[in-house]
Amino acid sequence: MVGLSAGEKHFIQGGIAQDLRADGRKRLNYRPIYVETGVIPQADGSAKVKMGATEVIASVKLDLARPNPSQPGKGKVSLFVSCSATAGPMFEGRGSEELSAELSVALQRCLLGGKSGAGAAFDPSCLSIVDGKLCWDAYIDGLVVSADGNLLDALGAAIKAALTNTRVPVANVPAGASLDEDPDVDLSSQETTRIDTSGVPVIVTLTKVGRHYIVDATSEEESQMSSAVSVSINKERRICGLTKRGGAGLDPSIILDMISVASHVSEQLMNKLDSEIAAAEADEQDT
Amino acid sequence: MRGIQLSLNQTQRLRLQTALELLETLSSKASLNASVTVADNIPVNYEDGVLKYKPEIGDIIVGRVIEVAPKRWRLEINFIQDAVLMLSSMTLPDGIQRRRTAVDELNMRSIFEEIDVVCAEVRGFQHDGSLHLQARSQKYGKLERGQLLTIPPYLVKRRKQHFHHLEQYGVDLIIGCNGFIWVGEHVEAKDDMVVDDQVNKSEQHSSKSRNWTSLEEQEQTHTPAETRQNICRIANAIRVLSTLGFNVTLDVIMETVYLSSSLNLEIHEMLGAEFCVLVAESEAERRSSSAKRKG
Repeated sequence: MVGLSAGEKHFIQGGIAQDLRADGRKRLNYRPIYVETGVIPQADGSAKVKMGATEVIASVKLDLARPNPSQPGKGKVSLFVSCSATAGPMFEGRGSEELSAELSVALQRCLLGGKSGAGAAFDPSCLSIVDGKLCWDAYIDGLVVSADGNLLDALGAAIKAALTNTRVPVANVPAGASLDEDPDVDLSSQETTRIDTSGVPVIVTLTKVGRHYIVDATSEEESQMSSAVSVSINKERRICGLTKRGGAGLDPSIILDMISVASHVSEQLMNKLDSEIAAAEADEQDT
Repeated sequence: MRGIQLSLNQTQRLRLQTALELLETLSSKASLNASVTVADNIPVNYEDGVLKYKPEIGDIIVGRVIEVAPKRWRLEINFIQDAVLMLSSMTLPDGIQRRRTAVDELNMRSIFEEIDVVCAEVRGFQHDGSLHLQARSQKYGKLERGQLLTIPPYLVKRRKQHFHHLEQYGVDLIIGCNGFIWVGEHVEAKDDMVVDDQVNKSEQHSSKSRNWTSLEEQEQTHTPAETRQNICRIANAIRVLSTLGFNVTLDVIMETVYLSSSLNLEIHEMLGAEFCVLVAESEAERRSSSAKRKG
């Protein structure tokens, strides 16, 4: 991202004020979303999402493990995001650490729920094999391949698609086997179950430029932002997480207004994503 | 399919494939009795310098200032090296042809600053291979009030005209040979005779933009809505052509814009899958009908 001259910045701000952005979108339009699932065959679930020039990949890998003693009936979920150096020279070496950490924390907040497990995107008890003894650990990894703004929304969409694509192997534990040492778990049945992702929220980021908010900002538009609020909302229009970025302070009434706008936009996005994910899954089964 | 990743459904994919195949057969017919046999496939990394910009003297290019150095500006122009625009190759704001003094050197930033978008012409090559630019005529200079697009340089063919003033849209279109295309509001070329007024106006304008103007003042100087719509439509047409890998010339751009307005498409729908397929089909039709007329 090189930077924009004063004339170009003025043009972008003018566009947002007049509800006609540089690529012709209105303030609350998303770029065309392209979803492909099953892009990483070795992973248990994976998806690639493109929003314009932003491209992200999410993968879900499951490993056998012991459940947390405080939550014996649930598997453990961990989430981490990294930025590939192909996204730009600023991501080479350790350049992407700050951004990766910020994205990871925001996604964890939106999707993993609290310490007690409440408010999580999906119910981790579907990952349990034997109560208190054996469960699946889910490692959700996000990778930013190309960055053109709105990384959080794209990652949220990719993780939702990857979770829908995930096939949890059905593990048959022979009866009477001692589970205190490494048990002989039978995975040969090749049966899989799916994770119920109807409760996975979508993340809508509203970027404030001047007096107006836009959705799905490109990196040029993001460079002009004063602040951004990311809201994750589920099908029942309930807020699962909230993050604010940017140096400028916001009046509380503006934050409430942004939340209501985000909630309104989320319905469209949720429907679009659901249909794209379903189409991608159908495509994958055909090939 | 050349890695065009749009969510096309089955029918759209088929239509696009047919159109692209038709275009390929047409282009091979054009090369007269030659037949091509594919002997070997050599994988090429597209990000290498294989398909980079190949400059020639007299090329019109659009670049971005990255450094203000003593007596020159360094511009980034989508080439392996940065281009140099000497202060002596640039018309001064007062338009007088004179020797550049030390005061001119100190005032270089009032002409172009870092990150400004500039239009210039290739004057020649330096001994180390980097480009020398000139911006002597009034056509060249700083570009504001618009947007800069980047497309692969091999899609721009050298023509007689690279500056296009589209009167019916009120838009300036500059197709740089280096793959940078500027689409912006039309700006009248400055008159040399009006010296004092220009200097005063430019000073006022630059001081205004530097101070923090209130939102209302900024809104008054914004591009009018209709011109903005035309700018966005033309920019999207260029984006679609670049995605499809078609040569970007004024005729093709204008046809794409007519196509989109005749279909009454919303501007942002021009970036969707359906319009992409339609553009490919109409281009295939256009070329096949012109081939039939010739042959």
